[in-house]
Amino acid sequence: MKKILALLLALCMVFALAACGQSAKPAATEAPKAEEAAPAEEAAPAGWAPNGTVHMIVSYKAGSGTDNTARILAQYAEKYVGQTIVIDNVEGGSGSIGWTQLADAEPDGLTIGFLNLPNFNSSITQEMGAYTIDSFKAIANHVTETSIVIVRADDDRFPDLASLVEYGKAHPGELKASTNGPKASNHIGAQAFANSAEFTYIDIPQGGTADQLLSLRGKEADFCVVKTADIVGQESEYKILGVFDTQRMASLPDVPTLGELGYYADWLGSSRLLAAPSGVSDEVISFYEAAFKAAMEDPDYLAAAEQAGVGTDFKDAAATEELIAQQQTFAESLAEGFWYE
Amino acid sequence: MLGTLAQMGAGFVNALTPINLLMMAGGVAMGIIIGCMPGLSAAMGVALMLPMTFKMAPETGLIVLGAIYCGAIFGGSISAILIHTPGTPASAATAIEGYQMTLRGQAGKALFTACYSSFWGGLLSCISLYFFAPLLSQLTLKFMSAEYFWLSIFGLTIIAGVSSKSIVKGLMSGALGLLISTIGLDPITGVKRFMPSSYFAEGINTTCALIGLFSMSQVFVLAEAKIKERARATKFSDKMSLTREERKMIRPTIFRSWIIGNLIGILPGAGASIACFLGYNTSRQFSKHKEQFGKGSIEGVAGSEAANNAVTGGSLIPTLTLGIPGESVTAVLMGGLVIQGLTPGPELFGKYAPMTYTFFAGFVLVQFFMLGIGLLGCRGFAQISRLSDAILIPCVTVLCFVGSYAIHKNIMDMVVMLVFGVLGYAMRKFDLNTAAVVLALILGPIGEKGLRNALRTSNGSISVLFSSVVCWVLIALCVVGILSPIFMAKMEKKAEKEAVAGTDEDIEKLTEEDSV
Repeated sequence: MKKILALLLALCMVFALAACGQSAKPAATEAPKAEEAAPAEEAAPAGWAPNGTVHMIVSYKAGSGTDNTARILAQYAEKYVGQTIVIDNVEGGSGSIGWTQLADAEPDGLTIGFLNLPNFNSSITQEMGAYTIDSFKAIANHVTETSIVIVRADDDRFPDLASLVEYGKAHPGELKASTNGPKASNHIGAQAFANSAEFTYIDIPQGGTADQLLSLRGKEADFCVVKTADIVGQESEYKILGVFDTQRMASLPDVPTLGELGYYADWLGSSRLLAAPSGVSDEVISFYEAAFKAAMEDPDYLAAAEQAGVGTDFKDAAATEELIAQQQTFAESLAEGFWYE
Repeated sequence: MLGTLAQMGAGFVNALTPINLLMMAGGVAMGIIIGCMPGLSAAMGVALMLPMTFKMAPETGLIVLGAIYCGAIFGGSISAILIHTPGTPASAATAIEGYQMTLRGQAGKALFTACYSSFWGGLLSCISLYFFAPLLSQLTLKFMSAEYFWLSIFGLTIIAGVSSKSIVKGLMSGALGLLISTIGLDPITGVKRFMPSSYFAEGINTTCALIGLFSMSQVFVLAEAKIKERARATKFSDKMSLTREERKMIRPTIFRSWIIGNLIGILPGAGASIACFLGYNTSRQFSKHKEQFGKGSIEGVAGSEAANNAVTGGSLIPTLTLGIPGESVTAVLMGGLVIQGLTPGPELFGKYAPMTYTFFAGFVLVQFFMLGIGLLGCRGFAQISRLSDAILIPCVTVLCFVGSYAIHKNIMDMVVMLVFGVLGYAMRKFDLNTAAVVLALILGPIGEKGLRNALRTSNGSISVLFSSVVCWVLIALCVVGILSPIFMAKMEKKAEKEAVAGTDEDIEKLTEEDSV
């Protein structure tokens, strides 16, 4: 009798695990399932609509920045998509494994995913996967974060950006900047800044943005480039010296752009956007474009996004497609002479 | 001060609402299940529950997440003890002694020890959370590249401790682990190293390697024994509880592991998987019953489990005070905080103190739920140890494959697991140490990045490695870590010679220690 009981228990463990792989994730996002299916029809002018669960591939692990924002969007978008949206975290290979899976997915419109610029572009230039930008069709942009240059709030050496540049020029090989990984987004930012301002620095690569900021706060690094959302809630710890944008940001009216001071003059930052495998029909794209536009304008979503510090920035499919191409050109331009050697 | 104490008291009152209690029980139960499944990690469990907490009150939401976290860290020990399959890397060290106890027919006792030590480790870690959070958070800022390098070296000295039979073989295993840890993108320059495909960009997945080295190789060993038609006794008397003397014996172990786990928890990036090894090794160094180690020591189980659960409270400290999450679980937890409109920092202990102290009180109560649910569940789980190998072997095999697939839903993970399973089996045949490989695999990247970044900050001068007090403390610990096994063995030999020796067993022990 005991043996049978024990066997049953062991089997339960196995099956529960098998089930967890598939059902745990839907369970998490299923809760706030759309009560009314009506808005789904409103949002879909074209004939196509998903006839089953929609899978959304996130190329980073559960709990990562992209995952958190994707889950918030998915929760409110279900109402407009009219189906359950399941987040599939396909992490690894610096994102390339998830993007490979998205590129190879059945183009039936039931699998869509997030592309993260500029990491997505770097993965192409570094030949991490077999895909190119043409393997995907853009649906809409979700989040845009602009890069900023920061130092410690109590660092009296650097009251402004010019003093940082002066220091770097006067003390070659002394200024240090922590980054979120070799040739990752924030390393690109620091390098673009240093190149345009003609000073040198030493990069201290860390595993991610949290470690990068810790390195700055622990006084190992002197400055670093991060994105606006990375320091939400911790603004008092840092001084923002400059923004990588063509004009001053509305939220930071007193902070100059790098271009104003004669340094890097373009926008630089990161984007998270929705895309589908390139084989899908245009109806599918326009369905999702409308559905996610409606979701991103939903007051409940906006309230939740604001609390989470998510800077929603809807761009339509055409504009998003353009953004991907522009970032790809930028990523390819980094090949020669950009990095220190 | 009195005001703070009053707030702490009020926190308990607020935490004791029916909804909170229900959430604690549910969270702990869910956490234990997630934890004992290889492949499902605490971070995954917390992340999956996160959207559900959006609609809850902030303190309730945080309590649920904390409950899953604690439950999962404890849950990992269940499968580690019963089937030599650490449910999470945090329980890798528990498998060493815990499984030996199961083989001796003491599965129930091992599970009790794990539950009891996890409870105390978690509960004690709340003390530092309550009273020393702002103070200890400063330690986080003291740990920069050079310090992380020495921390990893200190961690590697444990290899001497876990390889009881031969240090040389232990070092060989460690070197193999370090070598494997270099696979993937170079952490400093981004150059591809030993990568046949982009799958390996982030290195070998520790969990896959762990399942292969610990469980799959165990399956091979069991299967081989079965083929050799080894009769297996399945009847034994197994008590669930510990005697008064045994509880007294593990008390100092739990206390030491609490300190270790708490300190490791405060450091970002280190985490429970290192703490369990450090806790295990320390329990061994201080034990009065060293002969039990390697054969199923309750002190070993207690040392590892108290340490990894003490990490939970510790890792909340930098998350809540500095906004720097120590590991992926607390990163998700911080995401939960921010979504609720709360920002980590002094405000949590000022303006939002009622919420914070309610969460802390919930965290304390969660430990009691963990003890209760854990003990109830263990009774059932312990039955698994009575299964015959004929049933166990296929079940564990399935668990290994499904577990490694569940991490990323990637077939390659199963292949990696299987390769490490074969490697682990071969290593066991040569008496090499699989635990040392896992340890080196976890610590290698931390040490490499620490050393290379430290040298970058100093323009290549090695003086940076000796430039802070923390460095010197860690160096001293390394020296103690390396020398103590040799020293202790000598001391023991002396003591044994002085005692009236002569029995075969003693001679055997002497020869064993000679090889150390």
